[in-house]
Amino acid sequence: MEREILYMLGIVSVGFAVNYSLRALPFILFSGKDRELPPWIERFGKIVSPVIIAALIVYSYSGLEWYTLWPYLAGVLTIGLQVWKRNALVSIVAGTALYMLLLANCGCASTPDGLQFDAQHPAVSVSQSGVRFCDRPVRPEEVPDILEDYDIPKTRTIHIALDPNLKDLTQARTLMGYLGRAGYSRPVLVTQRHGESFATGKKPPKASAPKAKSTPKKQVIRYKKSNEQ
Amino acid sequence: MKRDIQIQAYEKRAIVKRAFIDSIPVLMGYSTMGFVAGVLLAAKGNLILAPLWAFLTSTLWVTGTMSIAGVPEIARHASFCAFALMTLMVNFRYAFYGFSMLSRWKKVPLLKKAYLVLMLTDENYALEYACRLQDPQKNLYYCTVLSMLNHSYWIVGLTIGAVVVAVLGHVVDPDSIRKYTNGMEFSMAALFIVILTDQIRQFLERRK
Repeated sequence: MEREILYMLGIVSVGFAVNYSLRALPFILFSGKDRELPPWIERFGKIVSPVIIAALIVYSYSGLEWYTLWPYLAGVLTIGLQVWKRNALVSIVAGTALYMLLLANCGCASTPDGLQFDAQHPAVSVSQSGVRFCDRPVRPEEVPDILEDYDIPKTRTIHIALDPNLKDLTQARTLMGYLGRAGYSRPVLVTQRHGESFATGKKPPKASAPKAKSTPKKQVIRYKKSNEQ
Repeated sequence: MKRDIQIQAYEKRAIVKRAFIDSIPVLMGYSTMGFVAGVLLAAKGNLILAPLWAFLTSTLWVTGTMSIAGVPEIARHASFCAFALMTLMVNFRYAFYGFSMLSRWKKVPLLKKAYLVLMLTDENYALEYACRLQDPQKNLYYCTVLSMLNHSYWIVGLTIGAVVVAVLGHVVDPDSIRKYTNGMEFSMAALFIVILTDQIRQFLERRK
């Protein structure tokens, strides 16, 4: 509790200090002097500011589901509305609403709230393009943390789907290593058969489910994500 | 105080009225944007005391960009240094607003000037810059009233947003709030897109 309050006070004062110094900068620089603004400052400001904002757009996209089409669609809507209506609020709210709708209804490959997986529907997969969790590209070292987010017990078998076309198994080995070190004692590699797709997250394909006689339905447990990242 | 006395009471009333009418678009923008920022802070910030966070940040920072963009950083308890650096980058544009106010606010007493500097936000600056009052005292009175109005909209919007989520969090399952706020982080990207679009438009218009 005390640490949280100290952190809050710290962040608030840091933010205040930086914001306020930025705003006060011209007044500090030109205090008492009665001279015009040098033209280079004006030119510099005109160039630097948009470049920084552009960089920030890229940065903020990295926190979104950037590997899907949705943030770009929402971005196009935002730009279009801003060019047309010139109302910042309308543009922001409409763009955000579109993104939220697409995310909620179009089955994006984001980490789902509830996770359901077994041997037929592994959540983790390794292919040429790298490691994926529920079709979301992740780094191998992130996987144990993600599993922990879902409160998956360490003793549970973690099935990892291997792409049959995969020749180089280094990544799979690295992933197994990370899982082992994090305490997940039973990671298992399973190979995907051709023409059959694994389920990703919420909706397991019904066609392949009946074949799975070896895995009784009871073993499919829904894990709920414990905390938002 | 002496300065204020020089303006007649009826003139003051007219200026306040003018400032309020001018601030209506900002009222719509700040209260709703503030509400969104407050909801975001409380729902995604992973915080205890979210309403207090909301009140302090809205009062002392008065920046929509950081109130929205800073939430993920606060949520993962970023270091003070990283947060300072991010604020510097995100709000770099504020450093250029003061230049056009230098001569106008030259003789303003320090305390009042300190407050006016705090309120050099995008929207407030735009309105102050556009103010046509030639008389320095009236202009200053207009700027002060406008700043206080806009500041209050922002504080109220953000705090209410955070309080609503904090109260809802006790009534309904916090997980379901997270489910419905999933994707709200796009508002930060949208804000930057809007700022950049405006900057490009201004640039193109100036070249014409």
